[in-house]
Amino acid sequence: MAIINQATRELQVKIVFYGPALGGKTTNLVQVHEHVQTQEGHKGKLVSLATSSDRTLFFDFLPIEAMAIKGFKTKFQLYTVPGQVIYNTTRQLVLRGVDGIVFVADSQYEKMEENVKAFQNLEENLRTLELDLDSIPYVLQYNKRDLPTAAPVEYMEFLLNNRDVQVPAFGATAHKCQGVFETLNMITRMLLHKYINESNRVKQLV
Amino acid sequence: MRELDRVLGELVSRSEASAALIIDKAGFLIAQTGDLGEFDSTTLAALAAGTYAATQGMASVISEPNFTCVYQQGENFSLLVRNIDLESLCVVVFQAHVSVGAVKYFANSAVTHLAKQFEAAFQRDPSGKVDFAMLNMEDSATFFRKTG
Repeated sequence: MAIINQATRELQVKIVFYGPALGGKTTNLVQVHEHVQTQEGHKGKLVSLATSSDRTLFFDFLPIEAMAIKGFKTKFQLYTVPGQVIYNTTRQLVLRGVDGIVFVADSQYEKMEENVKAFQNLEENLRTLELDLDSIPYVLQYNKRDLPTAAPVEYMEFLLNNRDVQVPAFGATAHKCQGVFETLNMITRMLLHKYINESNRVKQLV
Repeated sequence: MRELDRVLGELVSRSEASAALIIDKAGFLIAQTGDLGEFDSTTLAALAAGTYAATQGMASVISEPNFTCVYQQGENFSLLVRNIDLESLCVVVFQAHVSVGAVKYFANSAVTHLAKQFEAAFQRDPSGKVDFAMLNMEDSATFFRKTG
């Protein structure tokens, strides 16, 4: 749940990058950290709680203070979850208080089953937090579009974006920073749109 | 917010801690007092919330209903994370030579007070709404810009 501090005129929002193992969630955060334009001091350190082999163990965390909108400082906290199946409890912990989700799918044909399972796992974990994808804004990112084994976007749409309400989806090659900012800007836009329409879903501190 | 700052300030001065923070369990920083020096309080808040959440997971594994406190002992600085209520935590950073007993003692009374403050705040306006009409959607079209 986002937090708004009227005293300091700050809005704090949590976005979680979710998806199958080795799909490119951490790469998205690395690219945002390397390439985002911010004023000095507005970009925090990228913190990775990873194993010795560089696999995400707990989460990656990147705080960014974006430009002020009409006098409100907007602070975004970007998290990734560990994609490996065994770390499900950790994924549930990271999802706590989530405001928006970026589902990073791996475009390779052989990863489709993992994509679908990870998406189902997201829905299950949201249910444990009494949340669902109808109430949380989310976008899809079809990563690794540069690989020769990438499945057609239409096929991925059929598998992952086949709900009653379709959501924005972006093709991406995250390691080249292609599609990364488009995805992030869209989830940001959806979040702000939601807050304008449902301004009671924030914790207000006066 | 002023009352939260006052309680935190009292906690820091009485326990001789270096700094104290109130954080949301989702990892957001709500308030902070004291000398954090070069520490990044935003990251500290996210990591402390994660640590506390993991500790609750361990508690459930051993059938313990609740661990209300996490203590990390360091060579230079130590850290105490104490539960406030369902949504928030208090984090105290103190030098290693400062008595952890004193920090725990003063933190306990501070969190009781803070919990009452939060409860009073929510009861004052349980449906508290914020007017986001000032946010202009066009502004967010390229909210984050890429360098180069």
